[in-house]
Amino acid sequence: MEVDREDGRSQNQLRPLACSRSILHRAHGSASWSQGDTKVLAAVYGPRAGTKKNENPEKACIEVIWKPKTGQIGKLEKEYEMILKRTLQSICILTVNPNTTTSVMIQVVNDDGALLPSAINAACMALVDAGIPMRHLAVAICCCVARSGLVILDPTKLEEQKMKAFAYLVFPNLVHSVLPEGSPSVQGEPIENGIITSVTHGTMSVDDYFYCLERGRAASTKLSDFLRRNLQQQPTNSSKAG
Amino acid sequence: MENKQSSSPASFIGSTVIPGDVVLDLSSMANQTIKLGDGLREDRDAISAMKAGTLRCKKPNKYRIESCQKRYVPCAGDTVLGIVVDSKRDDFLIDIKGPALAFLPVLAFEGGTRRNIPKFEVGTLLYLRVVKAKFGMNPELSCTDAHGKAAEFGLLKDGYMFETSTGLSRKLLSSPTCPVLESLGKKLPFEIAVGLNGRVWVNAASPHTIIAAANAIMNSES
Repeated sequence: MEVDREDGRSQNQLRPLACSRSILHRAHGSASWSQGDTKVLAAVYGPRAGTKKNENPEKACIEVIWKPKTGQIGKLEKEYEMILKRTLQSICILTVNPNTTTSVMIQVVNDDGALLPSAINAACMALVDAGIPMRHLAVAICCCVARSGLVILDPTKLEEQKMKAFAYLVFPNLVHSVLPEGSPSVQGEPIENGIITSVTHGTMSVDDYFYCLERGRAASTKLSDFLRRNLQQQPTNSSKAG
Repeated sequence: MENKQSSSPASFIGSTVIPGDVVLDLSSMANQTIKLGDGLREDRDAISAMKAGTLRCKKPNKYRIESCQKRYVPCAGDTVLGIVVDSKRDDFLIDIKGPALAFLPVLAFEGGTRRNIPKFEVGTLLYLRVVKAKFGMNPELSCTDAHGKAAEFGLLKDGYMFETSTGLSRKLLSSPTCPVLESLGKKLPFEIAVGLNGRVWVNAASPHTIIAAANAIMNSES
């Protein structure tokens, strides 16, 4: 079924990606991530000694501060902070630096759809830039279900508003391995078949959700490639990919 | 779509790896002791990377990931530049740009006794050696070398301290002498102390020379 998207993309086509690391002078790690017109800046400070009061001192603590483009900080920002915190906690190895705090600041520069996935991607690259020990990278994508039942990836803000439901999905990245049987597996399944985070809005059927997962996983391999190419270049260059 | 899993090169040594990449297969190296340096962790039967960087191997069995960061991971035997943050009865608390504050015992000086404890104010810059850096404990520092002699460790007076990345510090300390320092030394007389934690101190007779040398070193990072 042909779909008519405003910018002429196909169903599964992502917007042009651009990522620069080490752009902030004072932050210990920083990255700017843009997907089309959505642009997010992430800065990482740490690890610094000391944890917050209610946190476990035997592990590192990650705190996230989300700054919207305009307006005051409200419940939506707090929700984004919580989702980001849980996602980053599952990809970072928290036992390497016990009793430390790593602060991640997210600044929204422009919001044109798929904001939370862009923020997750930016935060992940900023953590790599700061040298925080991680299990693997996180690759985030937004899939939405139209009223007609069609599933499209990486919507713009206008498209998001017209959709019946959408899902933000975060997958682990593809790893290269010297092992003969390929990537490491957890309980028999390769790591790439796992999922880190899934946030849904609106109502969609179970079949639609599984279809979104499938499409999202396929797109995450392209994003993984982009991340790998970006990290293999020197840190202070910015890179663009289509 | 290409099958990424089939592209497993013979080894990743010398190439860039990203977090999650499995770099060593332990099942093919039974009965060998290998030492893991910074950035690698043991994950069931294999060694995987925790950071993005270049995998380096020092024969015969030491592996580590070389990456360039703004923060420092304390390692025993390194020389660092620390700033005094607080002083307690038995040690000074020093900030070395790592995840935890480091302790400098009050007696860790050449000929140090309880009677001649140096008085360092908060903010003093010191050139120190990392004695111990174990997991979970604050690193321990010393102002003497392994034999107990002062060997230029201690207070750095005057001059100018600036921060760089750990990659640049390693390059400045590499041997043979880094080309930047060599060519600078032919033109300007200055003295320099480089800490592996990303701090560099430069001193010269006039502020003009200090600024020129500091700018040259900061701009040499490509």
